Amino acid sequence: MTNSTATPLSLAARLRGTPATRPARDTVTAPGLRAQLDDVVASRGLHPRAPLILRSGTLRSNTVALESSPMARLRGLLVTTALTLLVHEQPLEDAFEDTMGAWCSNQADVSLLSAFAAADADVQARLRADVRSHVSVLRDHLGTFASSWRPQTAVRTQVLLSGGALVLRDDIDLMVGSVTDPHAALTLLDITTAPLGERAEHTLRYHALVQTLRSGAIPLRVAMFSTATADCLVREVDPALLQRAVDDLATHLSTVAVAA
Amino acid sequence: MKLTQRRFTPEDVASLIATAPLTSDVIDTEQRRSFSTRLRSVPTVQSRRIDAWLVEQAGQGGRPFSWRPSTARRLLGTAAAQRLQRQPRRATDVVREIIDEYLVRAMSGQARFGSLGHWLSGLTPATLGLVVAEATNWCHLLLESQAIVGELSVLSPADTYYNVSTAQTTLRGRRDMIVPFDEHRVVIRVRQGVPGKSAGAGLRTDLVIDALGDAEGRSASRFIGVWPDAGLALSVDGTMENLRAGGRDIVRAAVVQRRQALTAAA
Repeated sequence: MTNSTATPLSLAARLRGTPATRPARDTVTAPGLRAQLDDVVASRGLHPRAPLILRSGTLRSNTVALESSPMARLRGLLVTTALTLLVHEQPLEDAFEDTMGAWCSNQADVSLLSAFAAADADVQARLRADVRSHVSVLRDHLGTFASSWRPQTAVRTQVLLSGGALVLRDDIDLMVGSVTDPHAALTLLDITTAPLGERAEHTLRYHALVQTLRSGAIPLRVAMFSTATADCLVREVDPALLQRAVDDLATHLSTVAVAA
Repeated sequence: MKLTQRRFTPEDVASLIATAPLTSDVIDTEQRRSFSTRLRSVPTVQSRRIDAWLVEQAGQGGRPFSWRPSTARRLLGTAAAQRLQRQPRRATDVVREIIDEYLVRAMSGQARFGSLGHWLSGLTPATLGLVVAEATNWCHLLLESQAIVGELSVLSPADTYYNVSTAQTTLRGRRDMIVPFDEHRVVIRVRQGVPGKSAGAGLRTDLVIDALGDAEGRSASRFIGVWPDAGLALSVDGTMENLRAGGRDIVRAAVVQRRQALTAAA
């Protein structure tokens, strides 16, 4: 099942799907993928003394401008905070004020907050409107995640390859399901405040690969939801998709090596 | 000192537990006295706390502790996981119930200034919501980690505290799960992030504090640290060599802490 259209079902329903049709837990593919990546790392001459650190954003060339804007980063962080609150069924009376207050309480670094305070009133008002709008879309489409699915939000992953010569970092906004289930059950969701672009497929493959390497088991599916357009891209994870993710990485590493 | 690394998968962790030594070393009364003497030789004007994190930071504490949703998550989330195992319910409901108990204690004047209850009582509803969310996240992470470790494990009822009163020092050893056997035990700690170069020192610190906290001084036969974010598990065995190394690292952290305090005072 693969969809790339507006979302008629809630995200919760689409991520979990039909339990009866889930494939068995696959733990034999991950070691092969790891071995392939170890070979790639060795052929590129990477070494743990000077590790190469990759994120899903590193593979996308069109995110530099977005990430360099403090207001865009703050918008993304506040929407992620809203997701955390909504998934765990915490009420949001004012989508901006509540998420901003909650986010600030968890930060030791105040640089983004200072950037917001220093911005002119027009920029602040635009961010408020933006966040309220994105959170409204998220709330309308999210659905309910049962406690038994063990939802975890803002999951940060770091996978070390070849003794740390290559570090794959990844942030998953929402992860549900267990890797110990006899059937594939782990489902990953990435929320973006940008429209789904051409690179969304790459990002999904990267998420699936990193989680496979981390847990040793293939996730069930991986999805990306845009709060800008309410589009959702869902992919079932299988060895072919993971192989393409390895190829993506190998291609990227070759360009890095050429650039170096 | 052997540090064993494995993937954090059900199969690899089961192997780490199954191959744990059947015996472990014991810290006797004389060794406890010697350790206390060494800590006492590092004077302090105020009570100090030493844990694996401080040892991993080589005694350099950095930013002082403050309550945040991320620092409250383990305490609340672990308590919620324990209640959930006794009576299955929704994790968020259990976390809210625990927070309510803290708030009641704070309202009745039983929470001291700076305590978790005192901090919780001053939060806005939205921030309290993030505390619930963070604690629920930890609760789910802990239960998922326990599922990976296997059904023999039980959640640890509490961390280990060992007080060396004559040295004004409290040692805190964190532990999240215990796999009990007839003659020995394996202890497991769940960590966030990626193990650093000092992860082994941290594990040995938790190992020695766990042994000091045991009435008979018996160490865990194997202490396993699991890093779910990285999919890694590291372990050290409960040998006298590791216990001694853990003790030395604790004293060294106290010395660095002392030097820092003197520098700050000057």
